[in-house]
Amino acid sequence: MLVDLQDGELVHGENFSLFAAMSALEIMDPKMDSGIERSGYYSIDEAIEDGIAPVPLSLDRTLDIQRTLDVIDHLFSCEATWHKGHTLAQTVFTCIYLMKMERISSHAVLNSFCRILRATCNSVISVVSTARTHEEEDLFTMSFGLPLNGEGDDKCLSVLNSVEETISRQLRACKSQALSKKKTLEEFESLQDNPELEEGYCRALLCRLRFRKHFHHVVTCMRKPQGRGLDLARKHVTSCLAELSSMLKSQEFLKSQSDITSQKGDESCTTASGCRPIGFDVSLNSRLLSPAPPRAVQILAWSDAIRYFEKLLHDLDIICALSLDPVLENVLHFIAQFQKSVPDLVPRAFLQTLLVQDGKLYGRDLFCDVISRALSLPDIIGDKEFQSNEFVVQLGQLVTNLLKILCTNTAWQRRKLGKSLQDWSTISIQLELALKREFGETRNVLADENMCMRVSKQLLVWSQEHTYWIASRFLILGFELDLYSPSEYCMVYWYMHVVFIKLIEKMQLRILASNENSRRKGKKKKDHSKDSVRDTPFPSSCLLLQCYVLLSEGLSMLLAALRKESKSFQSPSIFNTEQERFMQHFDLLQKAQIPECITYYSFKEAAAQAHMADVMKYNFFKEIQKIIPSLKGSFASEPEKLAELRQIEQVAEHNRIALNIINHVGASDPKLRVSFEFTHHPHFAVAVVKRS
Amino acid sequence: MSAAVMQATAPVERRDSSSGGAEIAYVSYGGEQHLPLVMSLVDAELSEPYSIFTYRYFVYLWPQLTLLVRLSLCTLPLTLLKVCGFGIFLMVSWFVVGIRRKAFDANDGKCVGTVVCKMGEHRGAFRGYIAMLVVLKPYRGRGIATELVTRAIRVMMESGCEEVTLEAEVTNKGALALYGRLGFIRAKRLYRYYLNGVDAFRLKLLFPRPDLGLDPMMMLGDERDGQHMDSPYL
Repeated sequence: MLVDLQDGELVHGENFSLFAAMSALEIMDPKMDSGIERSGYYSIDEAIEDGIAPVPLSLDRTLDIQRTLDVIDHLFSCEATWHKGHTLAQTVFTCIYLMKMERISSHAVLNSFCRILRATCNSVISVVSTARTHEEEDLFTMSFGLPLNGEGDDKCLSVLNSVEETISRQLRACKSQALSKKKTLEEFESLQDNPELEEGYCRALLCRLRFRKHFHHVVTCMRKPQGRGLDLARKHVTSCLAELSSMLKSQEFLKSQSDITSQKGDESCTTASGCRPIGFDVSLNSRLLSPAPPRAVQILAWSDAIRYFEKLLHDLDIICALSLDPVLENVLHFIAQFQKSVPDLVPRAFLQTLLVQDGKLYGRDLFCDVISRALSLPDIIGDKEFQSNEFVVQLGQLVTNLLKILCTNTAWQRRKLGKSLQDWSTISIQLELALKREFGETRNVLADENMCMRVSKQLLVWSQEHTYWIASRFLILGFELDLYSPSEYCMVYWYMHVVFIKLIEKMQLRILASNENSRRKGKKKKDHSKDSVRDTPFPSSCLLLQCYVLLSEGLSMLLAALRKESKSFQSPSIFNTEQERFMQHFDLLQKAQIPECITYYSFKEAAAQAHMADVMKYNFFKEIQKIIPSLKGSFASEPEKLAELRQIEQVAEHNRIALNIINHVGASDPKLRVSFEFTHHPHFAVAVVKRS
Repeated sequence: MSAAVMQATAPVERRDSSSGGAEIAYVSYGGEQHLPLVMSLVDAELSEPYSIFTYRYFVYLWPQLTLLVRLSLCTLPLTLLKVCGFGIFLMVSWFVVGIRRKAFDANDGKCVGTVVCKMGEHRGAFRGYIAMLVVLKPYRGRGIATELVTRAIRVMMESGCEEVTLEAEVTNKGALALYGRLGFIRAKRLYRYYLNGVDAFRLKLLFPRPDLGLDPMMMLGDERDGQHMDSPYL
């Protein structure tokens, strides 16, 4: 049944979809075929035969140490590059010495270094894999075809220790010989043959080996279950940072010793000495990646790698400093604060695996207990009926997922937070229904004696509060991810202020109920959270949210007034209207009824009523300035919260001034140019007024 | 997927022809003879690699959604342009190009831009997707990309699409401004989406729905007291 195909006709398979088409590769097309860009070697063995990775690295012992240091430094840069989002095959495992470790067993320094590096890589991959939230960052764990699991790697520390000990002794010997002015070296212990340089090379090597040792300890300690190793990890972090500092100091010596002609001379060099390392080939592993088109990999400069590890260690240190108290609000605030410094995949994975292990908080506290603690119901902890209640189980699951989501990169995080809104909203609705079914209608949380009903009502308020917290985070992350254009700020701030108002409402209800529980207990229990009896009726967390409400509402009204009076910040489009854009941005919130009865028409109505005169009258920005002093008092011992208060203060002040100018000049003045910049706070813009 | 357009510094859209009598024509995919033109434009300007299968997938299933831009020497006098107005001129050139349906050759002119799209069901919605958009560098700044995209979107709209989507690099200010003006929002950010490690925005345009007259909540009345037992949301 052969049919002649005419020019331009083709056979089309039914299930040959776009995915199949995109997955197809054209052989020898350099954009698609990973194998086409070659160094010329068809295999590692061929490269080795050609002398690319000699063992020892040189017969001249001084040169051997120099080259070893270059390999170590380049591997360090590769490791940082890998962490930043590339494959192992194109970074760390471009090292032929690492690919064929059996060859270097005679080279004590390189052997011990490579073994511990490999063991550490394994551990880190394990942590990231366990977290299982690296969907878009899955290049990190790809290790097909790489010799990652070596025999004897569990002994890597003792191997390293003995090498370190030897070099340490040698360094002491150098220093004492320098003092006694002896000129000869004890041959069997020295690193290399030039006595003048021995001390410099010993130091350079020692700090690098020690960095590896301490870093390995950091990783091992942080992996200990239930956070048992965190304090020890902090000590090793301090040591790592000290060794990094020594590594930087060694650069001057190494540069002075290296051959000027072989130095790259620019800032992009991947070694301290500036020389290109031997023993690496970037394309030998390309076939391991062959299903995917080639990705450009630029190995980080050595100085950038140092900076990466410094940041990584600081982020890990912050995690290690976590007091492991099972107060959920504190945990949520901690993660939100932690994410502000934009931590990379590795520290995020460590945080997540610390927080959620074996389905428990810190691997220790059942989430149902965490929830009962959040409701200030200590009697309920351990109560089997509570633990097995279907809503509590579901809420526990939602909290687990929430913690995991919050530890991911913000782009992925926002999408998942948005999707989770439906689950949270559903459970709230179900709780509400169940309450009505069981107990009929009551409005007063406090009046009731029935314990079961009280607990149910509190659960409802608690789940609603978290729903709004997630919604608010979803909205503000949009600013961090640059998802909104200026013509959309008006509606976004409007929606934000509505959500913040509901969040405050639920938070206050929750606190009232908690305080009532404490009152009933008849004692003032030690409360980890800041919202104790003392702080009613306006605990500091609510006051801070009130600032957010005022900022959002102020900005929204200002933008609405400007749109009306100066026709700016509008974006007419031939294909749709503002209504469609509203529906899209807030689709997930609308579907989950967060809040109820809020629609585009609610927004239009509010915007229609915004006039410059009203914006001046309500003076949102000035109101904030009244709240801030008392908040500063409450947050006196919390530097991060104080920092944000200062930012809010700046935003309020700048906007207050801008508002006055606009009002004075007149919003409809054609010479007036108003733009909104995020110069002081990442989520709240400042109006910048210019006259053209 | 990807777009190569001018940086949006001064988006002046000039719809008339440039000096020298060059004429811009927009042609939809007419057959095999157009395929190498599309491929060479995209291969040259865009960093992401596409196989021949990918191109054929688009142009064979949705030829009406692949458009090419031809720049050729005008045979009509300039005065005629001014008299007829651009709209009529375009109609005339469409007609002229339509009946010829040949590849551009050296006499006809040069292919300076293209857009490649598809449409289909996606999770219950009929959706258009803009896969590739290219305008050669020397010809940017004239509104050609906007025109290409606008035309493609119109075809999608008329074919019943409810929405249109695409991805663009977060650094591609020109593309982001272009689509923003047409009503697209930045729906999502995709971390390290491109092979070069750059993030992308998923851009989406939602067409107005004909049935969306009244606010559904207004029709339900004010039911704020929680008695939603028979609400459609439960």
